[in-house]
Amino acid sequence: MERIAIVDGIRTPFSKMGANFNYLSAQELGRIAARELIERMSLDVKLIDEVIFGCVGQPADAANIARVIALLAGVPKTTPAFTVHRNCASGIEAVAQAAIKIRAGEGVCYLTGGTESMSNIPFFLSKEYQEILTEISRAKTLPAKLQGFAKIRPHHFLMPKIGLQLGLTDPVCGLNMGQTAEVLVKEFGITRREQDEFSLASHQKAIAARAILREEIVPVIPGPKYKEAVLDDNGPREGQTIEALAKLKPFFEKGTGTVTAGNSSQITDGACAILVMGESRAKELGLKPLGYLRSFAFVGVEPNRMGIGPAHAIPLALKKAGMKFSDMQAFEINEAFAAQALACVRALASDKFTKDFGYEGYTGAIDPAKLNVHGGAIALGHPVGVTGARIILTMLKHLNRANLNVGIVSLCIGGGQGAAVVLER
Amino acid sequence: MSVFYKEENNVGTITFDQPDSKVNVLNSATLLTLDKMLDGLKAKNLKALVIQSAKKDIFIAGADIKEIENIVELQDGKSKAQAGQRVMDKIEDLPFPTVAVIDGVALGGGCELALACRYRVMTFNTKIRIGLPEVNLGFVPGFGGTYRLPRLLGLQQGLKMIVSASPINSSAAFKCGLADRLYPSVGLPDRVKEFIEEIAAEPNKRIFKPYTPKGVQAFLEKNPLGQGVVYKETIKSIQKATKGFYPSPLKAVEVIRKTLYLPREHALDIESSAFAELAITPISKNLVKVFYMSEKYKKLTVPGAENIKPMPITKGAVIGAGIMGGGIAQLFSDRGVWARLKDINQDAIAKGLKAAYDVYAQAMKRKKARPYEVAAKMAMISGTVDYSGFADADIAIEAVVENMDVKKKVFAEVSQALSSKAILASNTSSLSVTEMARASKDPSRVIGFHFFNPVHRMPLIEIITTEFTSQQTLVTTLEFAKKLGKTPVIVKDAPGFLVNRILLGYINEAGRLLGEGGSITAIDRFATNFGMPMGPFTLSDEVGLDVGVKVLHILEAGLGPRFKPSKIFDDVLPLKLLGKKSGKGFYIHGKERVVNPQVQALVQSGGSIKEEEAVQRMMYIMINEAAMILQEKVVDGADAVDIGMIFGTGFPPFRGGLLRYADSLGIDKLVDGMEKLEARFKDGRFKPCTYILDLKSNGKKFFI
Repeated sequence: MERIAIVDGIRTPFSKMGANFNYLSAQELGRIAARELIERMSLDVKLIDEVIFGCVGQPADAANIARVIALLAGVPKTTPAFTVHRNCASGIEAVAQAAIKIRAGEGVCYLTGGTESMSNIPFFLSKEYQEILTEISRAKTLPAKLQGFAKIRPHHFLMPKIGLQLGLTDPVCGLNMGQTAEVLVKEFGITRREQDEFSLASHQKAIAARAILREEIVPVIPGPKYKEAVLDDNGPREGQTIEALAKLKPFFEKGTGTVTAGNSSQITDGACAILVMGESRAKELGLKPLGYLRSFAFVGVEPNRMGIGPAHAIPLALKKAGMKFSDMQAFEINEAFAAQALACVRALASDKFTKDFGYEGYTGAIDPAKLNVHGGAIALGHPVGVTGARIILTMLKHLNRANLNVGIVSLCIGGGQGAAVVLER
Repeated sequence: MSVFYKEENNVGTITFDQPDSKVNVLNSATLLTLDKMLDGLKAKNLKALVIQSAKKDIFIAGADIKEIENIVELQDGKSKAQAGQRVMDKIEDLPFPTVAVIDGVALGGGCELALACRYRVMTFNTKIRIGLPEVNLGFVPGFGGTYRLPRLLGLQQGLKMIVSASPINSSAAFKCGLADRLYPSVGLPDRVKEFIEEIAAEPNKRIFKPYTPKGVQAFLEKNPLGQGVVYKETIKSIQKATKGFYPSPLKAVEVIRKTLYLPREHALDIESSAFAELAITPISKNLVKVFYMSEKYKKLTVPGAENIKPMPITKGAVIGAGIMGGGIAQLFSDRGVWARLKDINQDAIAKGLKAAYDVYAQAMKRKKARPYEVAAKMAMISGTVDYSGFADADIAIEAVVENMDVKKKVFAEVSQALSSKAILASNTSSLSVTEMARASKDPSRVIGFHFFNPVHRMPLIEIITTEFTSQQTLVTTLEFAKKLGKTPVIVKDAPGFLVNRILLGYINEAGRLLGEGGSITAIDRFATNFGMPMGPFTLSDEVGLDVGVKVLHILEAGLGPRFKPSKIFDDVLPLKLLGKKSGKGFYIHGKERVVNPQVQALVQSGGSIKEEEAVQRMMYIMINEAAMILQEKVVDGADAVDIGMIFGTGFPPFRGGLLRYADSLGIDKLVDGMEKLEARFKDGRFKPCTYILDLKSNGKKFFI
């Protein structure tokens, strides 16, 4: 079967919500990454068969955002594009779709990636207010219009629904994402201290990897001011201490909780673009791919335990790859929450868990030195539609740099899913 | 024959189809044919008469400018206008409905013919431009345009279209009432048939209501007080734009003001007189000549290279993200060319992007661009600090600091990063392109591509060829200049090329005038009185004195001591009074601009320079330099000099250009004046060059 080549990739810096990229739309972030990849490769855009981008908070003013990105990035108008949404794994989904299409013989070259502007997820009006506004816009006479206006009360516009909050709440189990992490805390008996230490390590690794991460980042000069370039992720905190983390109050469960803003991933803007090709085409063109996608897997778990997803996706992806857990030389478990990542590590190391689910050979203890080597979403941030693509890029760059052969990346997915991808050189 | 008549089902059709031409023009012969044709029609009882064109994207491009150019007698001008007016009257007086079917350009006489019809049907064709651009050529509409347009569209819109000379597209024409209907070009004949059925219901009058202003507009349109305001404001804005050098728009206002309530015959009489009066003026003749020249240069081709196909340019690299680099990237993106903007650090790129965005921001402010368009255009510019993205660029334009060593280094590097087909161009304003070519991998692909500041506004590009430049490189670059919407002149590589060499002589002479005891404001005023867009010291402050002096030194080294910077420049430069960029130069640039007393004090007081002498010296020195340029064959003709000076420096078009102005002085008088100045200064700078002396001895002029 044709191997799936991850030819190259690039991403924007990740910037905390409301900071450097506050005025950049998701489509603008996406097109910056996509265009820069095209430029750096001097890629003949006519080679691209389709553009596939992941995005969670799909902007109302950029319907099918992949198409918008494609056009703004200079992909020919005649090349189709579609947008994928698998929540936090949307970036992986985009790459997976490309792989599926290449294997099905639909095409050989896909511009994929993810984009997210969490700064620009809108606020929503209540249904009641919407109805009043509709009534006013339909009213034909001035008195009828005034009658409509008279119905408006301050709470209608002072208390909009916050889109971001809605998106981070599971509509089926009713829990906020942070609350699902607290579920795992209780199930696995994870302490606050463990979470904070894990988070501190994430920051320290990310800070130490500044120069390394720049290899995957294109500096962005945000308009319309074009004042200065953003060179790095602004999430990692230099001088982060365990004491400072320990001082933070639990955010999702007042009093009894352990999950804080400090041991959760950051809400972030960014984009990542990845070029996926059939191996033979890449070779024909004389390209040297970063690496290859060996297998991928998506699984479902209970929505209120969504953070455990990777512990199930990893064994499945390994099985599909025909590889063992012990073959893996590097791991990436996305840090939606320190508690959730730790729960996955613990589950994978557990004999009982292995036996219960029949995962023999596909689980094991992860050497902390091999996990999230350049830090994770707690430090770098988690632009939800992008992270999946970002960890593929980061992992492949790491394999190349460290001269390793195989690694696996995984994410938990809001709504109760897990995703994992086995990558090799 | 250019006009054909056909009749079918009682509907007459007049079709304009000038033989062996892509366009239709209303010349005397065509008007005569049309005149007779209309005489034959007026007795008929047609359902309708359709007037159309057989040309693609052209209705009627206008009257024949050649004929107007040849008018020298007042009476001849008047009767030429009257011949047209008579035809238009005959169309208007036909006893059945008339429909102009416009699927392309309808300018001047073409627009006036359409106005004489009872109805105007247009299409969604984006090539449609309709309007009365006559005042741009120094006269007023002469075929009834001043009479019919304000009556059809209302005073304000009619006046605006005539005075601004800006034609409009079909959707604007529909909005203001100039078009009665818009149809798709496809299926137009059938739509016209349907339209005729619709209007045939009322054979004797127009079925659409005429334009009726409301509210404030009605006040401005309908009563004398309001109209007074409209006229006054229009005149004020004309004065501001033309500084009183161009009489035609003012005359147009005067004609409309006089004739708005007059019966047709009387009104048209005033119009034809005004037309004739202006058409014979030297200003109009000059403007017509400039029009021809600009048409020629807009379509310039390389002689002898007709078989060489230009390579397509879809992506350009720009090296150096300063004001020029940012401006060039902006122009690229505006014209659909991808731009890869390189500089040594991100801060520099940020400045370049800002410079590009500022141009778009201005356009948005003036409602000339929509935010979504600007986002898409800015998306065509990306920055880089290395040579990534250069491999598939079709052209690279260097706009780094004006330093030969830096340029050579850039050329050596960039030529390695580019593909073996890409062109490598320099935006240098005065350094040797030949020397840069030598530093590159393939000198045949090297060329000069000199933009003027601000890039988006200045229409000229100097294309500088070296002995190595291949025809393919030249053809492609020339075509690219046109794609960017610029007017190109081809110049041989010589110090200062064309425009800066001439202009710097002028600024330097202004410096000498100042040194002799002139005043900064007076010398600037003399220049603007002459028609220059700004005075020499204002210009120096804009460009930066350091830049000017640097170029002067280059010119001095290459061309001789006549370019030695004047003493006042040498005195001011060390004081770091560079101009706008340092806040102070010859002027202090605060909230209000005032003369910098520090500079004025350096000048020996008590001196005074007469306007006539100042203008003479500033112009003569430019004319002499231009003649030397012709002598050295740096450009191929006098019109290249004139187009360069008009489009590169804003030399007043009403004077026809620098060398046409020289011709208007008379070569004998010119030589005489120059020799007198030479006798006085004895440094050779006013010594008429061989080229001028040859003209004199052969009794010739710069232009035949």
